[in-house]
Amino acid sequence: MSDQTDVLQGTLDLLVMRTIALEPMHGWAIAQRIQQISDDQLRVQQGSLYPALHRLEHQGWITAEWGASENNRRARFYSLTKAGRKQLETEVEKWERLSAGVNLVLRRT
Amino acid sequence: MRFLHILRSRVRSIVFRDGRESDLSEELQLHLERETERLQATGLPREEARLQALRLFGGVEQIKEAARDARGTAPWDALVRDTRQGLRRLVRDWRFTSAAVLILGLAIGANTAIFSVVNAVLFRDQPFADPDRLVNIYQNDRSGKPMIVISYAAYKEMAEYTDVFAATMAASIPNPSRYLHDGAIRNAVVEFATATYVDVLGLRPSLGRWFDETEERPGAPIVGVLGYQTWVRVFRADRSIVGRVIRIEGAPVTIVGVGPANHRGTIDVGLGTDLWLPITALPVITSQNPATRAAPAIYAPLFVKARLREGATVARAQAAMDILGRRLEAEYPDDFRRAGEFAVSPGITVLASTDVRIHPQADVPFMAIASLVLVIVGLVLAIACSNLATLLLVRGAARAKEVSVRLAMGATRRQLVRHLLTESLLLSLGGGVAGCILAWWGMQAVQSIDLPFTVDLTLDYRVLVFAIVLSFVTGVTFGLAPALKATKVDLLQTLRDEGLQPVDHRRLTLKNALIVVQVAVSVLLLGGTSIFVQLLEATRTHRVGFAVNGVAMLETDLRFAGYSENAARAVYDNLLRRIQAIPGVESAGLLPGLPMEVNGVPIVVDRVTGEQGSEVEAAMLEAGPGFFDTLRIPLLYGRVFDARDRADTPRVAVITDRMARQYFGALDAVGRRFRLQNDPNSWAEVIGVVRDPGTGDFDDDVLDPIAPAYYRTYTQSGAPPTTIVARSSGDAAALVAAMQRELRAVDVTLPVLTASTMARRLEGSQVAPKAVATFLGVLGGLGLVLASIGLYAVVSFAVARRSREIGIRMALGARSQQVVWGIARGVAGLIGVGTGVGLFLSILAMLALRATSGSGDIGIGSVSVYRPDIDPVALLAIAVVTAIVGVAAAFVPARRAAGMHPLVALRHE
Repeated sequence: MSDQTDVLQGTLDLLVMRTIALEPMHGWAIAQRIQQISDDQLRVQQGSLYPALHRLEHQGWITAEWGASENNRRARFYSLTKAGRKQLETEVEKWERLSAGVNLVLRRT
Repeated sequence: MRFLHILRSRVRSIVFRDGRESDLSEELQLHLERETERLQATGLPREEARLQALRLFGGVEQIKEAARDARGTAPWDALVRDTRQGLRRLVRDWRFTSAAVLILGLAIGANTAIFSVVNAVLFRDQPFADPDRLVNIYQNDRSGKPMIVISYAAYKEMAEYTDVFAATMAASIPNPSRYLHDGAIRNAVVEFATATYVDVLGLRPSLGRWFDETEERPGAPIVGVLGYQTWVRVFRADRSIVGRVIRIEGAPVTIVGVGPANHRGTIDVGLGTDLWLPITALPVITSQNPATRAAPAIYAPLFVKARLREGATVARAQAAMDILGRRLEAEYPDDFRRAGEFAVSPGITVLASTDVRIHPQADVPFMAIASLVLVIVGLVLAIACSNLATLLLVRGAARAKEVSVRLAMGATRRQLVRHLLTESLLLSLGGGVAGCILAWWGMQAVQSIDLPFTVDLTLDYRVLVFAIVLSFVTGVTFGLAPALKATKVDLLQTLRDEGLQPVDHRRLTLKNALIVVQVAVSVLLLGGTSIFVQLLEATRTHRVGFAVNGVAMLETDLRFAGYSENAARAVYDNLLRRIQAIPGVESAGLLPGLPMEVNGVPIVVDRVTGEQGSEVEAAMLEAGPGFFDTLRIPLLYGRVFDARDRADTPRVAVITDRMARQYFGALDAVGRRFRLQNDPNSWAEVIGVVRDPGTGDFDDDVLDPIAPAYYRTYTQSGAPPTTIVARSSGDAAALVAAMQRELRAVDVTLPVLTASTMARRLEGSQVAPKAVATFLGVLGGLGLVLASIGLYAVVSFAVARRSREIGIRMALGARSQQVVWGIARGVAGLIGVGTGVGLFLSILAMLALRATSGSGDIGIGSVSVYRPDIDPVALLAIAVVTAIVGVAAAFVPARRAAGMHPLVALRHE
């Protein structure tokens, strides 16, 4: 477990939005999905996940609806709004520019 | 758009907070379950899996808190939480809470009530349309200051200047008057105005109409417009009032309308005008003399306002009035020679109406007095506030343990201060609400009294804002310092609560300063009270130079019952005979008005020998045959009025010894002559000299010292008699009852205006100074009570903190006396300093008052300022009382501590 990395502040929003862009998901599933897709490289702290979800909802980028979870319990399913999709595009673009830049710096020095 | 969304989300999250809250719990719960299931799937036993999930998860409450923060509702939550907690706390300490709310309520209530009066007088908006184009026009007094317009003729001349004034109106200064309604005589304030009145001000009658030009002509049947407040209060907003006839001073007046709802009167000082009448009705209603009633010229103090024509300025109007002033001097030379109260010079002043509140000469003193009263009640609030602060300090110290536990549990100091501040704000807001209720209740009480005028006090938004701001300021200022102090605790020391508390040897602590302030302000208030008690005593000790015991009076007015003047005279003579026949009655007489009512008049003395010249001011009193005998006023020379003095015989007068000496240069002035300054045909011969009555009724106070005075008789003056005054060898109260019986026997429909004994009349005339002295006395007493409560609280707390130390000292053999002394000495020092400061401030205030009022008591406008003596005995008494009360407040808890068993004291926490 020690080789797992905590998700960076600021990139969490991006990851969450990217994850639920495919289909609506509840909180636990989002955390699991991020962990799975990153081959267990990234770990989402619950302590930051839920505040992030509520913050994104408050800003109008995602909305939540109650639905049945895989174990048939009531769960809040988050999905992207229209504004959220646009925001996701800009965030992805921003991230790509940033990581490209960081990579360049790391390689050339 | 995004802003709107965020706003909506925030509002939703506040409004549906409870729903959100349970949603959040459910969401986190689900997360935990799924995590447990996942771990179980990896082969962990259920219980183990749950625990690990919990561990991974971290603090549920912290996450909730963070999620809430993300929504931006945290400050609101904190406020709600603090308020709830504070309320719970205050309800639990209900004794402390009710005391604090009561203290603050009294202080804020007093302030609010006083402010509402000041508000009514000084700050209420004028409802006039386009007020910037309104100007006030005044004739100047002899010193060139704007005063008043003195005649209808002068007003008419002003109104001619239509090139600068689009319209002009005049209204008399309010006249006290009386009218008959529902079988009772009621007091009324009447303004005599022109037909242009409402148009110039840009107002509209709320019912019916205003009187028109034809009704303003002399001799027209009198019509009137009721004041809106009077119509609502007295006539219960009866719309059928228009067209009805009411009798005012006996004259029938047809009501044609009701005045504007938002306009109280020409001088807007909280007194409402009850009735507006055409200006030409003024001599008919106010003059008791048939001769002046028919006089063509109307001389009366008038307020004149005009609306400037489009393009005209105040400066242009002033230039036009300068020309008019010189013309008036040429055309009405006599007007400018009149002496007395309304002596004018040819100058005329034009001022923008918005620059004048009441009157250009009265505005400054009015403001000064209003602020003085506000300062006085402000002092009471200061005491209440410092008192509350002391209580909070003491309470804060007592809660030191609770505070340190909470700090240890991880509360931040900021949270605690916010919490304590919320509590003190809740207290002060509670006090504010209580204060508003008290103020409202007090004002209802004042308005339910039938005063000779209508007072219009309302809690408008300004008063409410004042009370709310006052409560907030109080809460923050006097909650902050104790809150900061309470949260600055030494954690370990307090939690262990062991060992001796370090004794605070500093002299300049917040608590000590607060006690000194409270004591000083109470002394200052009591000092202020002593000034008014002095004033009251000063008027009391005036020599009363007429009989009081056994004297009774009965006033009726036959004009209200529709009698003609001759028929009325016969009824009065009949009534007088019947009263003289009542057993025990020694003497009785008729007179117009009530005995010792004084009118200041300018007179011209014939063959003057005095230094003042021939034009002097004299006090005129009404009398008649039998008057001097009834009041036992001793005759020194000549004779008093009798049946020889009739309307067709030469005019005669009885003068006082003071007038004889000062104006005629000799005590025996019989045979000398004088006349009214404004009537060359009014020569009267002195037929007698009587002893000066010492006092007379100038401003509703029979005990006013009066100027050199003379009496005239109703048998010659034309003023019809209204009052029978009689003296009995027995009880005056019984005589009043007997006189009323005789009145009913003559005509049951006659209204009784006054039925009183002379003693009661003297007593009643002192209501105003007594009320002021009582008011200040109550405030001073209230301050002292508040200060002693604060003192008691502080000392008992300090003693409680030192119980352990006291116990040890007692156990080691200290005598209880020594212990009590030790405590009392510290407190006595504080009280001594406070009393000293208070006395110093009182003397300073008295000196300031003396300096502003010059020599003797003088009048500024209509308000007289009293020049107080510094009375060392009174000040000493105040100091002693304060010291005794203060030490007593300290002594009780000290005694209790010293009386405690050493063992109990040692265990005392």
